[in-house]
Order: sequence, then structure tokens, then C-alpha cells
Amino acid sequence: MTLQVVAFYLFASIVIASAVMVILARNPVHSVLWLILAFFNAAGLMVLLHAEFIAMLVVIVYVGAVAVLFLFVVMMLDIDFASLRAGFVKNFPLGIAVALVLLAELVLGIGAYRAGALNLGAAEGTAAPIPMTSNIESLGAVLYSEYLFLFEAAGIVLLVAMIGAIVLTHRDLRSPRAHQDIGKQVRRNPDEATIMTQPAVGKGVDL
Amino acid sequence: MVDLSQYLPILLFLFIALGLSVAFVFLPMGVSRLTGAHQPTAEKLSEYECGFPAFEDSRGQFDVRFYLVAILFIVFDLEAAFLFPWAVSLDLTGWAGWTTMMIFLAELAVGLAYAWKVGALEWE
Repeated sequence: MTLQVVAFYLFASIVIASAVMVILARNPVHSVLWLILAFFNAAGLMVLLHAEFIAMLVVIVYVGAVAVLFLFVVMMLDIDFASLRAGFVKNFPLGIAVALVLLAELVLGIGAYRAGALNLGAAEGTAAPIPMTSNIESLGAVLYSEYLFLFEAAGIVLLVAMIGAIVLTHRDLRSPRAHQDIGKQVRRNPDEATIMTQPAVGKGVDL
Repeated sequence: MVDLSQYLPILLFLFIALGLSVAFVFLPMGVSRLTGAHQPTAEKLSEYECGFPAFEDSRGQFDVRFYLVAILFIVFDLEAAFLFPWAVSLDLTGWAGWTTMMIFLAELAVGLAYAWKVGALEWE
């Protein structure tokens, strides 16, 4: 019991500290690295919540792919740090306004929390967890039966994302001259490709 | 509450990784301190680029094509992640679950065929 509590406070405090460092780090590359640390500790929190599959997804998808994507975006942008900080005084009122809106939302959120927890009821019927199955198995059991159409819609979303990224960033650099057609190379045979001639002495070869 | 004792091997790996990385960083530093002369000056510690002060930031800009590779990776990474719960729950979802995954794979196969056709998988 106490081990879980210690682990929870360890993970939670590292998540919060690294999230703060994401904002405070001067170098955006360092921000991304702090973000990766935050993702890892969030995965630890998921393990504590018995959601092992979600923890694995956080590590695979967020650390393995999203963080790399962020790193690429940071490296692709031509950021001039001096000009970024130049507009501080000019944008100060706008920043304060946004911060006040966020503060109001926080106060509202804490107020709603203080008003008492929502009674969501216990899971029953088809929503009840299947006994004697692991986390990942019960997830699969609902995802591929009850939420089948949402799953297919997720596939469509992935397809659109893929095609969108290709359309936006792909430039066809294959020039027709340099393009290698492997099928054509394989189909080539000696009879068509070479000519056997026996030129007479002193005569050239007609091609 | 979750039984944390099953994660002991991961904790051991973390400790070993921490120990090794600390050793790889500090051992060469310590050895060079003990064996060589350590007399740093401002000139010795400044960056050296053929006698000039550094022209630009060491951070160079990436080609946008890396981003395309990363996006394609993330899509197929998610596809693989969806396969895990599908594989272990097949006896619960039956033919409907099998068919839905095949349709999902076909959707992404269309994307793969498109990427291949326009040459997004080729670097040059």
C-alpha cells in the first residue's frame, strides 16, 4: 500500500515538475526533452491505475512518435529567439487577458469539484468488465464489437491525416531521366539488348 | 491497487541504466583529471571553428521530408497498437471483430498504396 503511495507521489511530482520545465526551458529542444520525461511518468501513473495498455500506448505513441514529431517541428522552424522575446511588452495585455480567462476557468473548476462528486454509478450490463480478463482483452472486447464504427472512423481519420501530410509536404523529386524502372531492367534480355556483327576488315559497323 | 512487485525487473533495469550512464559520463572525466594536466584557460574552453568565432547557431534546419516520414511512422505505429487488443480479444469479438479489423487494415492499405504511388516512400 505504502509503496503505491510513494510511487504515485514520485510520478505525479515528476510529471508536474517536468511540465513546468517544458514551459520554462529557454531552448525549445530542451522543452521537448522535458515533455518526454513527463510522458514517461504519466505512463507510470497509468500503470498505477491498472491501465497497463494505456501506459504502453503512452510510451509507444506519445514518446515514440508524437515527441519525435515535436522535435522535428522544432528543428524545422527557423526560430529567432531574440525576435520572439521582442514583443513582450506589446503583447503583455493580451497575455494577461488569456491568463485571467484561464484563472476564471480554474476557479470554476475547483468550485465544481467542491460542489461534490458526480454519481456516475457502477459499471453494469454490457459496460461491466468481463471477469478474469486482462485490461487489454476487455478493451478489445468493446472496441471491436460495440464501438466498431468509431474504430473504422478512426481508421478514416488516420487515412486522411496520411494523405494530407503527403499532399502538403511531398514534392515529386523523381525526374523521368533519373527514375529507375526495376521491372524494365529485369525484363531486358540479351537478344534485344545486344547485336552480334562480324564487320569486314576496313569497314565500319552500321548501327 | 496494483501489485507493483511484478515491475521489479524494470526498476532493476532503470538502476543499471542509470549506473551505466553515470559511469560513462563521469569515468572519462575523472580519469582524464587524474592522468592529464588540467589547466583550463578562457582560450582553451572557447569554441573553435577554424580560428573564427562561430558563424551561426549549431542547430540546423531540417528538411520537411523528415516530417512526412514521421507522420507515416505515427500512422502505422497506431495501426500496430490497435492490433494488440484485437489479437487477444478475438475469441470474444468473433467474426465481426475480425472483419472490422480487416476493413481497418484495408483503409490504411489504401493510404500505403497512395504513398507508394506518389513516391512519398522514396527519398530521392
